[in-house]
Amino acid sequence: MANGSWRIARTRGGAHLPLVIVAALAVALILFGKAQSSLFDRAREHVMDWMKPVLVATHGPMDGFNRWVGSIGEIFSVYEENLKLKEENARLRQWHNTAISMNERLKRYQLLLHAVPDPALSSVVARVIGRASHPFLQTLILDAGSTSGIKPGQAVVDSRGMIGRIFLAGESTSWVILLTDLNSRVPIAVMPGNAQAIMAGDNSPAPTIETLSQSTQLKTGDQVVSSGDGDILPAGLPIGVIVADGSGYRVALFADQTTTQDVEVLDFKKPPEQLPVLSPKDLPVTAAGLPPAAPPPQQPALSPTLAPVTAPPKNAVKPAPVANKPAPQNGGADNDAPGIE
Amino acid sequence: MEHANNFFGSRFLATITPVSCGVIAVFAANLPFSFLGPWVPSPLYALMPVYFWCLVRPDLMSPVWAFMIGVLHDMLSGGPPGIWAASFVATYAVIDRQRDAFAGLSGVGAVLGFAAAALIACGAAYFIFDLYHWRVLPLTPYIKEFAVTVLFYAPVLFVLGAIYRHLVGPLRSDF
Repeated sequence: MANGSWRIARTRGGAHLPLVIVAALAVALILFGKAQSSLFDRAREHVMDWMKPVLVATHGPMDGFNRWVGSIGEIFSVYEENLKLKEENARLRQWHNTAISMNERLKRYQLLLHAVPDPALSSVVARVIGRASHPFLQTLILDAGSTSGIKPGQAVVDSRGMIGRIFLAGESTSWVILLTDLNSRVPIAVMPGNAQAIMAGDNSPAPTIETLSQSTQLKTGDQVVSSGDGDILPAGLPIGVIVADGSGYRVALFADQTTTQDVEVLDFKKPPEQLPVLSPKDLPVTAAGLPPAAPPPQQPALSPTLAPVTAPPKNAVKPAPVANKPAPQNGGADNDAPGIE
Repeated sequence: MEHANNFFGSRFLATITPVSCGVIAVFAANLPFSFLGPWVPSPLYALMPVYFWCLVRPDLMSPVWAFMIGVLHDMLSGGPPGIWAASFVATYAVIDRQRDAFAGLSGVGAVLGFAAAALIACGAAYFIFDLYHWRVLPLTPYIKEFAVTVLFYAPVLFVLGAIYRHLVGPLRSDF
């Protein structure tokens, strides 16, 4: 162990000059990486795709070993744990029945109110083949990638709740940035009250809450779900509950990133609203039984003060207000056109 | 002729061994499994061969190799590129200037010498990371990284020492 016991080669090989050049290279690499991170991301995707067979092969034994080590302490409390789980299971069955009946009632109300249905979600089930923990970087590696339809930004959930988001998708593997990661920011809603906030990871097991309205009062036990802001994540994904932490609040996550094995990657894409193509028949003037206005003749550009005032058509009649409907104030006629909301 | 072949084969082996140690260390540090749980970061294995070979055979672990090992570590760890590369180069620069002081350490002192190098590496990475994100980040993750790295240095030093004595060291006189 003694460094001094070895004869040290004195050849420096002119190390001082390369040090300056290499230091400059390192700084250039940081700046280049900041500007063009996609290049490095692609390289990472390829490396991870290439390493996938090794990861899959080694994951099983390693996971078994970890589970075995973790279960040593639990052997002595199996009986108590079993009783507790039975009790919890009975309680959850009651809630399950309640949830089913509430869901049916919600569907009926939505039908009665002609509510816009929630967008359908497709999903891909993937297996966790790796977990990495570095300062300021906590990730999972999944055994499914872009060939399975996985894209960056998609939400990743396990059986209990949201666990993170995809941030790199290779061909057959993908990286998940966990909710606890320092770089994770997720728009959330705190229930009840639907208070909007941002949940930020800080490498601790319970993420913090940022940008919450001053007037909002949080309580321990409040439910946290995804708010769906930004149309990247679906709204209403269960995330966790509020817990007090000194003077502030944090979110105790439902999902357990340390033990989860199979996750679901949700493909949520809210298609942009497609407005129907309008025909002359759909115009409110036509609907009122009047001929559509002729297009204005092409005029050379004039200053606004010199622009001629177009006289209304001779047969233009003010349309009668629709019975049982108040006259619209501003542009309301346009809103009466079928298909335009 | 056979002697010449052996000479060049041994020389080649000696040349690639330090860098190979660095590459293996990078892969070990970035294995997506951890026996320490998710809340304790993986040790910074890649720094250990850089420090060791920079002390005992700087001709075989040049700053360029330290930089390349750092780049590989950045790429596999998933972090922003260049941060660990720059940290390793900064650490290399300090070790290079204070080589005699570091190399003279033995026993617990050798571990403390490495702890100083690890402190420089983690400190540089933290500072660059702060600049990169333009905000002051919590220190705890880097303190954990530093502590775990120093803790794991002693067994790795044993392996590196064995490699030096049995593979690289005996060939040193050939240069």
